[in-house]
Amino acid sequence: MSRRPARGLWLSTPVRLAGGLVALFTLASMGTLGASYVVTRAALAEGLRDDLRSAVAGYAAAPTPGAIGELVAAEAEATDARRRIISYLAPDGRRYGNGYLAPGEEGFRLYPLEDLQLQNHLPYLALTARLRGGLLTVAASQSQIEDLGRAYVTLLLVSLLPSVVIAMAGGVWIARRTGRRIDGLGRVLDRIAAGDLAARVPETARRGDDLTVIGERINDMAAAREAATEALRQVSADIAHDLKTPIQRVSVLLERLRDLPELPPAAEDLAGRAVAETEGIAATFQALLQIAQIEGGSPRARFGAVDLTAVTETLAEVYTPAAEDSGHLLRTDLAPGPLLVTGDRALLGQVLANLIENALRHTPAGCEIRVRLQREAGAVVLEVSDDGPGIPAEEHGRVLRRLYRLERSRTTPGSGLGLSLVAVIADLHGADLQLGDAAPGLRVRLRFPAESSALAGKG
Amino acid sequence: MPDAATPTRTPAGDDMKILVLEDDRTTGDYIVDGLAREGHSVDLLTEGREGLIRATTADYDVMVVDRMLPGLDGLSVVRTLRASGNLTPVLFLTSLGGVDDRIEGLNAGADDYLTKPFAFGELSARLSALARRPQMKAEETVLAAGDLKMDLIRRRVTRAGQEIDLLPREFALLEHLLRRKGRVQTRTMLLEAVWDLNFDPQTNVVETHVSRLRAKVDRPFDRELIETVRGAGYRIAE
Repeated sequence: MSRRPARGLWLSTPVRLAGGLVALFTLASMGTLGASYVVTRAALAEGLRDDLRSAVAGYAAAPTPGAIGELVAAEAEATDARRRIISYLAPDGRRYGNGYLAPGEEGFRLYPLEDLQLQNHLPYLALTARLRGGLLTVAASQSQIEDLGRAYVTLLLVSLLPSVVIAMAGGVWIARRTGRRIDGLGRVLDRIAAGDLAARVPETARRGDDLTVIGERINDMAAAREAATEALRQVSADIAHDLKTPIQRVSVLLERLRDLPELPPAAEDLAGRAVAETEGIAATFQALLQIAQIEGGSPRARFGAVDLTAVTETLAEVYTPAAEDSGHLLRTDLAPGPLLVTGDRALLGQVLANLIENALRHTPAGCEIRVRLQREAGAVVLEVSDDGPGIPAEEHGRVLRRLYRLERSRTTPGSGLGLSLVAVIADLHGADLQLGDAAPGLRVRLRFPAESSALAGKG
Repeated sequence: MPDAATPTRTPAGDDMKILVLEDDRTTGDYIVDGLAREGHSVDLLTEGREGLIRATTADYDVMVVDRMLPGLDGLSVVRTLRASGNLTPVLFLTSLGGVDDRIEGLNAGADDYLTKPFAFGELSARLSALARRPQMKAEETVLAAGDLKMDLIRRRVTRAGQEIDLLPREFALLEHLLRRKGRVQTRTMLLEAVWDLNFDPQTNVVETHVSRLRAKVDRPFDRELIETVRGAGYRIAE
């Protein structure tokens, strides 16, 4: 069961969509405002030129340079130099006006600010004309046009800012809302992946909404899987019934044969061996059915806190005399209990029984089997190791496979399902199973999440 | 381990009236035949609905019910029976036998559970255990068999006046057999009762514990108290 890291809010689709829309909206606004700025600015500039032309034309009526000078002086008196500068350079070198602009050629010119010996720092548009032998220059401040730029920037900000804020806030709000629904879908999928096929996405009133549609699809899928699992279970049950009943009959007939009076000892022995074989077949069947059932995940419904120390002690005690009788030494190294894990006591007992039986069966007399139980950070680690021949590292993956037997162990009894059963039970408990080299021998290591964290993992 | 072959036949006083619901003819006949040979009177029915009617109209000491039955399945039979207030002990037979099925069966109201294929000895031992519940007298503080005495309060065991030193689990094993004197206890029944373990070990774990108990309780004395019942289990004779 893997828990995915929380998705960043800023990476969620609604926020990204909102961001994209904002960018698009900004570009469009900048485009239209920019165009209207360019047009307005051009109109204003043209107006300014007309204004200057008509101002210059006004002086053309004056008959002499002296008269122009008088007029300019009078007009300049009443004119704010920050708005307009009027200057006339008479043919005799006298200057009139409220500011001196070094006149150049006739026509329009822009005066950059540093050329003006004035306090304000605004560019002027100047028109110079030759008049009665002198040079008349009328310059108008371009501040109106410059202000226009600032006005447009302000307009852009004022119109964009609320849209951006509203769009992003809306995006975040939708992201939060859909995020919650998506998390809900994720949790249902996690539960389904963990084997809880009854998990369903709650129905919402928002018919046709895309997340509702996805939820419905998930529910359809879960229902289909549940039905398939149920069908498989039914098939296993049917197969079990249809095959175990004949096995039962055979074993009944063989038992009857064995118990017949005055049976030659050889025949009785053969019948007894046949009974034992049918028991072996039944045990294999039983293990396969159990594996199928555990893989279905249903035993998880019965999980509770189990003291692994107590279970291990009991199993070690049960197997100690059997180990002694076969010349093995069974040793335990258990951390003081209780070491709690979340699980099913019977299945955990089965794990220990299978591991100990496996070690007893596959190691020669004189070997030592060690059962070790330790607490680690957030985990309980169970280890069963022996100093027997071990399993080659390249076979480690294969022995967990169903019905796989090592070449050399084909002749020893056992269903070949012991370790597979251990593997599925470990998986059911969220435990990590590792086979390792005990140098010499085999070490099987099971790392269970400790009880509290196991419960937290479920929530 | 050499089996001291002892007949599985129970004394005539233990005869029970047993109803068997099993749709497989061979298995059914085998159960009926074996139980009849032990002196019980047995009725066999192969259909669920019919079985339920018989169970509610006649009085049985114990019932054997197969989980899968035509008509009405075994689970429903037991559930209906319990809902109607009928408390006849029921042993459930099943081809399944996962932990789930076991718990489902017990929840439906069955008293015990046996997975196919089973040995007849196991069935017979479990049936007699069921039919005689409750088997203990609470006020009993000293259990005895022959010259063996077990003092439950002082946790002491003596035989022919000689004190026998037992480990706690050996004490529990002996106590379990003494409390069910005369009745066979199978290996899986002992594993359930003494160790609270519910599985079928592939090795002879129970035998090794019994043989250690015997080494202390029987070997130093001339008469064997703990008998091996072939194909079934162990018992202490009455």
